[in-house]
Amino acid sequence: MQTIELSNVRKSYDQFVAVNNLSFSISQGAVFGLLGPNGAGKTSTIRMMIGITAPDSGQINLFGKPFERKSLNKVGYLPEERGLYKKMKIIEQLIFLGELHGMTAGNARQQAVNWCKRLEIDAWLQKKVEELSKGMQQKIQFIAALLHDPDFIIMDEPFFGLDPVNATLLKDVMLDLKKQGKTILFSTHRMDQVEKLCDSICLINKGNAVLQGDLKTIKSGYGKCNVQIEYEGNGDFLEKNPLVSAYNNYGNYVEVRLAPGADAQQLLHMVAERSRINKFELMEPSLEEIFINTVGKTNA
Amino acid sequence: MHNILIIAKREYLERVRTRSFVIMTLFIPLLMFGLTAVPTMLANRRSDETKRMVVVAGDRDTAEMIRSRIEQKQEQEKSAGKSGLKLRQKRSLPPTNFTVEISTNAADSERAALTAQVKDKKLDAFLWATPDAIKAGKLDFVTNDVSSFIDNGFLGIAVNDALRRSALKSKGLKDEDIEASLQSVEVAPQSPLGKNAPNPQMMFIATLGMVMVMYVTVLLYGVNVMRSILEEKTSRIMEVMLSTASAKDLMAGKILGVGAVGLTQVGIWALTAGIFSSSALVASADLIKGVLSVKLLLYFGVFFLLGYVLYSTLCAAVGSMVNSEQEAQQMQFLVMMPMILSVIFIVNIFQHPSSTIAIFGSLFPFTAPLVMFSRIAIQPETPVWQIAASIALMIATIYGMVVLCGRIYRVGILMYGKKPNLPEIMKWIKYA
Repeated sequence: MQTIELSNVRKSYDQFVAVNNLSFSISQGAVFGLLGPNGAGKTSTIRMMIGITAPDSGQINLFGKPFERKSLNKVGYLPEERGLYKKMKIIEQLIFLGELHGMTAGNARQQAVNWCKRLEIDAWLQKKVEELSKGMQQKIQFIAALLHDPDFIIMDEPFFGLDPVNATLLKDVMLDLKKQGKTILFSTHRMDQVEKLCDSICLINKGNAVLQGDLKTIKSGYGKCNVQIEYEGNGDFLEKNPLVSAYNNYGNYVEVRLAPGADAQQLLHMVAERSRINKFELMEPSLEEIFINTVGKTNA
Repeated sequence: MHNILIIAKREYLERVRTRSFVIMTLFIPLLMFGLTAVPTMLANRRSDETKRMVVVAGDRDTAEMIRSRIEQKQEQEKSAGKSGLKLRQKRSLPPTNFTVEISTNAADSERAALTAQVKDKKLDAFLWATPDAIKAGKLDFVTNDVSSFIDNGFLGIAVNDALRRSALKSKGLKDEDIEASLQSVEVAPQSPLGKNAPNPQMMFIATLGMVMVMYVTVLLYGVNVMRSILEEKTSRIMEVMLSTASAKDLMAGKILGVGAVGLTQVGIWALTAGIFSSSALVASADLIKGVLSVKLLLYFGVFFLLGYVLYSTLCAAVGSMVNSEQEAQQMQFLVMMPMILSVIFIVNIFQHPSSTIAIFGSLFPFTAPLVMFSRIAIQPETPVWQIAASIALMIATIYGMVVLCGRIYRVGILMYGKKPNLPEIMKWIKYA
């Protein structure tokens, strides 16, 4: 079953078209990445999915039915703009948000305590939000989105502002949710995270879908035309080389995109003649590269 | 509906628990207590203390007359305080109890001696009522408490009375004729409804009090709705809320919750006022009889609620439009303008409850809560069709405003950045 299905959805504000004729669907249990640069229309799309705004035209099906408000009890949303009632105690706040999602107060309390234990923040349950650090508030917000055990979880920039330890904690929670068969939508412009977690993606730019599908398929479509080289010595082989169509020098290593039809072995020989090679690896392009390439192309 | 109640409950509990709510709720009854009970208590304590004064007159008769009038007046005051006569005769602060001595020595040396005694606090005061002074129309009252206006006013009445009596007596009138000619009468305003009509002065005070309570609470809680929406907007919790509740539910829940807080507060005040008027002011129970009828309290409730819903809906729209406290304050003044205007005109409406301006004000929905309520309170025979029309117009306006402001609210809460101008707001209203 498709958890959510958008067909030909369009939304404009005055002259500005935020989302233009967008169609995609997410099947149940998938981890889906909604990608795009800032202002691409990610948040506008999400807002239409959960009925905050209505599309000008097109159809949105949630859990296989046209959108209806009561479906929202099965949706968890972590917005990009984080916000909680500053003066309210954590536990009361979570109970309140749980009740709004159709939970009983008792059940909400139980779940809130469980989640806070799991995210190692239970010592703060009786504290007010304003007494918490940014990272802690982030966790509370995360719990608020998951408290009512939603089947469809929407996370807008979930790792933003988290330290590596907490980011790992959240990542593990999400992998766990995936195992439970929950559908997860990530909206982000951080490609490295998406690459690790997502099954499929939709890349949008200026309100249009420019690339979508299964992540592995997309990447293999680009072929293993990338080489990562760690070397010591002369790097001038990069310049004016007919084998190299583009490169990205990261200091410790360099990523080279091969020219169409070029042979990687040829390049290996060439580099070996001039410098010591510590590592030479043929790779699929990173999502970031695909992103920059695709968005760059559509912007041009 | 479920969501509206949850939102209202949160709003209510969060607000009732705040320090400012507790302080406000306690402060107003304390203020009432301070204004009514404390002076009475102070006065009761003062009335035990007696002061000594000397009346200096040209002849014994005049001096005696002054003394007897002062003493008689003091007696009247005392008995009035005990038996609880009409409030307007009962002073909140009874004058000092003087024992009066008389003297006919009008020499300058005597005056100097008495002055010295007052200065050394051996004597509390003396009155210089010599024939010259009487002729000049100005008697010196030498006292250390020159600012005690109650004593001074009271003495003035007693002394004038005494001098008039002496003058009449010197013309050869008999005592009973003098008594008859100096008999004072009271002009008592009376409503055509007869003797059971409430005391008009009490009516005026009570109505003014209720109008002020209505004005302050509608203003206070309207602004509370606005600030709380603004807070949700700036703390960005709005988006979380919107992922589960509709904008309509959010607005309705907020208005309901904050309104319930307002009702709680007014209820507590009304209750304390009730306890006060039945215990502390038993003496004047007759006076408030008929002023606070159940019917009037019911009207108060109706107009308070209608006024609150109307203004808080407007405030909700304003709260959703703006992005900062400063912007909110400018807008809030504009929104509250009709309320402020009604208060400015309220005394005029009390005086002329059937004037064109009063009728217009009581039908115009934005001024109706205060003006119509005042008219009903002051003028029990206000035409029923006008009351009905006023309520109907308000309900219709509230309905229109809920639709209109709901649309502004829905868009406004998701808009950050610059304050919208009028054409932009018009566009918001037109959005589907």
